[in-house]
Amino acid sequence: MEIFVVIGVIVLLAIFIVAQYNRLVRLNISVDEAFAQIEVQLKRRADLIPNLVETVKGYATHEQSTFDAVVSARAKATSATGVADVAAADGMLTQALRGLLAVAEAYPDLKASTNFLALQEELSTTENKVAFARQFYNDNVRALNEAVATIPTSFFVGLAKVSARPFYEVEDPQSREVPKVDF
Amino acid sequence: MASNFRSAQGANKRKTYFLLAAMGLLTWLVAYAALTYFGAGTTSFVVPLAVGIALVGVWGSYYGSDKLVLTMTGARVIQREDNPELFNLIEEVVIASGLPMPQVAIVEDSAPNAFATGRNPDHALIAFTTRILEVMDRDELQGVIAHEMSHVANRDTLVSAVAATTAGAIAILSDFLTRMMWFGGGRDRRDSNQNPLLLIVSLAILLLAPIAAMLLRSAISRRRESLADATAVSFTRNPAGLRRALETLAADSTVVRQRSNAVAHIWIESPLDGQAVSKLFSTHPPIEERIETLRAMESLGPQQ
Repeated sequence: MEIFVVIGVIVLLAIFIVAQYNRLVRLNISVDEAFAQIEVQLKRRADLIPNLVETVKGYATHEQSTFDAVVSARAKATSATGVADVAAADGMLTQALRGLLAVAEAYPDLKASTNFLALQEELSTTENKVAFARQFYNDNVRALNEAVATIPTSFFVGLAKVSARPFYEVEDPQSREVPKVDF
Repeated sequence: MASNFRSAQGANKRKTYFLLAAMGLLTWLVAYAALTYFGAGTTSFVVPLAVGIALVGVWGSYYGSDKLVLTMTGARVIQREDNPELFNLIEEVVIASGLPMPQVAIVEDSAPNAFATGRNPDHALIAFTTRILEVMDRDELQGVIAHEMSHVANRDTLVSAVAATTAGAIAILSDFLTRMMWFGGGRDRRDSNQNPLLLIVSLAILLLAPIAAMLLRSAISRRRESLADATAVSFTRNPAGLRRALETLAADSTVVRQRSNAVAHIWIESPLDGQAVSKLFSTHPPIEERIETLRAMESLGPQQ
């Protein structure tokens, strides 16, 4: 009789350990997936930029420094790897883009051009998607870090080879809000 | 009063569990009353029969909910090319929620409204009336989409199917048993020496249970609406968008033409407002109350 009790306890214990282990691994994978989503959206934004710069250049010829800032920020953003680097480059590009759009404000002809209007919707949705991808990533990091730090999952951190992950922090404080792209 | 979306989500989830437990208790009470009144012979086949009928009826519609609701509301599935801006907005919320992309449908209707259905996130469908797309701006529409995607995330088609099954089984059971009473069924109760008071209580339970079940079902539906509002804020972190959307809906007095009670609970704003008997039977919380809750969330400032 006792042998069944012992086996039962061992089985329950094994199920418990497996469940904690799997939870940690799953949370860790979600963070990877969420980061991949950020990169997808940043890539989308980067792809829009050459077209945007060309369009603005056609009307605003004397804003070379603004264009240079956007182009160099884009180059940095496309080559960045790792959460901290990507986030820093993302922040710079977000700011450079804001500068470009502020320039566009001053050219009524540009604002009325069909090409620019077509870019407007694409750009505002992409900004939103980037912002939501960051938020989703950070939510997942928060869930993982909570599991890493709290009992009982914290006991299995070594076993699952999982550790706390960094948040995706964009330096620009304004970027918490979804940027309003009103032209 | 001021609660952020996390505590609002927790509270609404707890209340749903409580209400579902009350439903279970009610079913048990009805079965017990039947047992007392009619004896084991009758009860042992009537109870499984009623549950069986309710299960078949509800779970068929649950499984095919996406297709069924399309037919009942006259919604038409659209592709990205038909409305790229709407799809952009939905993709934004999809990214924020981490859910798969749902099917999108349009209902030709002059009332602004929207709904979500589907048995699980992989078979989700969200639909919008043509009018809601006309009257709402980007932020408002984003709030509405987030509310609908929250129903998907919270598996509300499943929750309402469970509630409908239990309420249905109780209604069928009560109907059977009261009929049997008039036609002299359940004679076997004479064999036992039952306490007459117990018999009266059992009878009262059998007669009142269907109403109680309907009340519980409506209460569950209201909790799920509040929960969806809170979850929507967790997706967009922008309570103002959904709040303004609800204000637009509240200000608009037109209601969706299909006034089918069967699908009333799935819309973001109840299409049955004008005829609701009382707050207790309503499938949605009062819209003013929902607006107030969101306003309270706004007052907390930007939320992480």
